Order: sequence, then C-alpha cells, then structure tokens
Amino acid sequence: MSKQAAIQVHGLSKTFGEKRVIDDLSFTVEKGTIFGLLGHNGAGKSTTIDCILGTQKCDSARISLLGRDPKAERKRLFQYVGVQFQESAFQNQLKVREICEITHSLYENPLNWKQALHEFGLASKLNSFLGTLSGGEKQKLCILLAIMGNPQIIFLDELTTGLDPQARREVWRYLLALKDKGVTIFLTSHYMDEVETLCDRILVLNKGKEVASGTVADILAKVNKRNLEEAFLTLVGEEV
Amino acid sequence: MKTFWLLYKSEAKLSMREMSSVIFGIFVPVGIICLMAFMDPDNHSLNTNFVAVSTVGICSAGVMGLPLALSSYRERKILKRYQVTPISPAQLLFAHLLFCFTISIVSMLLILGVLITFFQFSYVGHWGQFISAYLLVMVSIHAIGLIVASLSPSEKATGAINSAIFFRCFFFQEQPFHMKSCQPVYRKLPMSCH
Repeated sequence: MSKQAAIQVHGLSKTFGEKRVIDDLSFTVEKGTIFGLLGHNGAGKSTTIDCILGTQKCDSARISLLGRDPKAERKRLFQYVGVQFQESAFQNQLKVREICEITHSLYENPLNWKQALHEFGLASKLNSFLGTLSGGEKQKLCILLAIMGNPQIIFLDELTTGLDPQARREVWRYLLALKDKGVTIFLTSHYMDEVETLCDRILVLNKGKEVASGTVADILAKVNKRNLEEAFLTLVGEEV
Repeated sequence: MKTFWLLYKSEAKLSMREMSSVIFGIFVPVGIICLMAFMDPDNHSLNTNFVAVSTVGICSAGVMGLPLALSSYRERKILKRYQVTPISPAQLLFAHLLFCFTISIVSMLLILGVLITFFQFSYVGHWGQFISAYLLVMVSIHAIGLIVASLSPSEKATGAINSAIFFRCFFFQEQPFHMKSCQPVYRKLPMSCH
C-alpha cells in the first residue's frame, strides 16, 4: 500500500437482488486531497460510501481507510474518520448543545465545539432544537459534527444539496481550509461548479460502473468538452 | 461511561419533551391506582391492585415506548449515524432501555407512595419475592418490546403491533383488575379470561 493513500478501494461490487448497483469499482484517494464521486441519482454513490464505511455489506472488495480495515478496526478507525450522510439523521427534539456534547464525548481528541459553533455562525443556536434549524444551519452542524474528532478523513454525501449559494460558498471555504490542514475529503455532489472548485480528482459513475476518473482537466480532455457539466452529461449518456 | 451517561440523559430529556411515555408510563398507572383505591379501599384489594397496576407501568414503557423509539431510530437512520462513530449503536439502545427501566421503577414507586400516603396501604407479601418477581417481569416485558422492535419492518407496523399487545393486556385482562364492581362489565367483554 502506498504511504500516501488515505482510502483504497479495490474490486468493489454490490448487488441488490438481481440488480448490480456497483460493478468492480477501484480507486485510491491520496492523503490531503479532495476526491469527488459523481453520478446521477441512483448511480451508486451513497451505496459506495456505505460499503467503504462498512454500513452495508458488499459482495466483494478490498477496502482500507488509513491502512486499516473499516470492519475489523471500526472503533479505532472512526476516531479518525468523520462522516456526514445524505440524510440528516437526528432526533429533532434534541438541542444543538446536547448533540454537540454527546458527539464531543465520543472522541479522544475532539475540537473545541463552542468555538467551532462561533466559526460556523451557529453560536446563537446553542439552545435551539435540531428540528427548528434551517437547511443551511443543519448542514453546517453536520460538518461540525463530522469534524468533531479532528478526523484525518471526512466523507460528505451531497453536503450542499438544498443550500443557498452563499451557504454553499461558506461550506466550500471551510472544506478548503480543512484540506490545507491535511484532511482528506471524500465527497459526492450534483453541483459541477462545486466539484470544479473543490476536487483534486473525480470519478464519474454510471449505473455503478466507472466511466471516467482523473483531474477535472483529464475528464474535459477525455470527452473534448469545455465545461464539466457537458462532460458529465456526455459521460453518463444524457447529452442534450 | 461519560458518553453513556450523556446518551441516557438525552434519552430522558427526549422522553420528557415528547411526554407520551411519561403520561402512559407514570401518570396513567398512578391515576388508575387512585381510582381503584377510591372505589375499593380494602387492603387486600389494594395489595392485588398494587401488583397489577405496577405491571401497567412496565407494559407502557416496555411494550409501547421501547419498540417505538427503537424502530424510529432505525428508520430515521440514527443508529446508522452511530455506526460510523467510535461507539456502538448498541450503547444508544442500551441507554434507552435503561431509561425505560427507570420509568417502570419510578411508576411502581409512585404507586406505592400514593397508596401508603393516602390509603393506609400495607403490603402483606414478602418484599424480597415481590422485588425479584417485579424485576423478572420488567426484564421479560422489555424483552418482548425488543423482539417487536427487531422484527417489525417499520415504525408504523411497530405502532400497530404495540397497540395490539398493549391494549389487549390493558382492557381485556380480567385478572389484574380485581374490582368486584367492574367484574360484571369485564365478563361481557370479548377475550376476557374466565
């Protein structure tokens, strides 16, 4: 294994009944980079994340995070891996302070969550119920909870979906700051401008299969398009 | 341990804010015992009713509250979120289970307190036997709740199964409600045990 690899996936396949939703997917994400997994709805992005993290069983794969097996060393590994799933899974009757205190207590080396709330502009929401937060506030809280343990890798599944442009840019700035600190970020997104701004490397999925991977420039050159959105539509066979 | 205590506290706060488990687990049994004691204050009847109504608190927490909470945590992917943290989702489940035990025990102690304070109740049985039997029933009823939560495919299905189990016990079981005045009514109901 390369010393620089934060995430290594080899031969990942997953079927639901007769349907193969991920087909022999392999990739490596280097430490300190942002990796984007792209694909239309139902292409297998969330399932890929689930299989990497071990929250779903895959049919076959060799997966390592920071050189460890996510199933065999779950407890140890998730001290260094933060995750934000597509669905905001919270008890809405909990308060921001309570979910922060609980999440803070899970880690050996947690960040100062009160200071982080200030940085995220959520300090005034300290005693608000989670159910009363707006979409943007919830997403920012999700990032805060995902980075609570000062992780080395963060998985973000469609983090900015539903956010207004200002909130999205705030999130981008924060992610780039995390990258500068050496954190590896694995994200999925439907926004091509976001992917172009953030991602060092991307992988495009279509019906569970890799159709292209590389830097944004590599992808554009491969399909001879001027912007990523056109390139993406060409790659997934939905060119207009 | 700190995490477990925070989870336990948060489960307690969530239940207080949502109120239904507190109403059905504590207020309803205490209300029932007051009503029954007013209607039949004889110490022998109070003894029977104390034991019977204590189990209403256990059933409310173990058959109604516990499976619903666990099903909703599974359905809303809250357990999945804990799967990707250094602790096991089982800790959240265990914290909730412990809170249900707390509700059951608080309910029984309040019933006992009300009976002693207002109805000159004196327990005629052996406390050691009562406590062991109470703990056995509490663990067994909660085990049924856990089985329902595990087997039920959705939160809605859990609600239906819970109601089928809980209200059948609550309304159609003659044995716990030993009020002579009520027995003729119960005998006319279907599914009563004779």
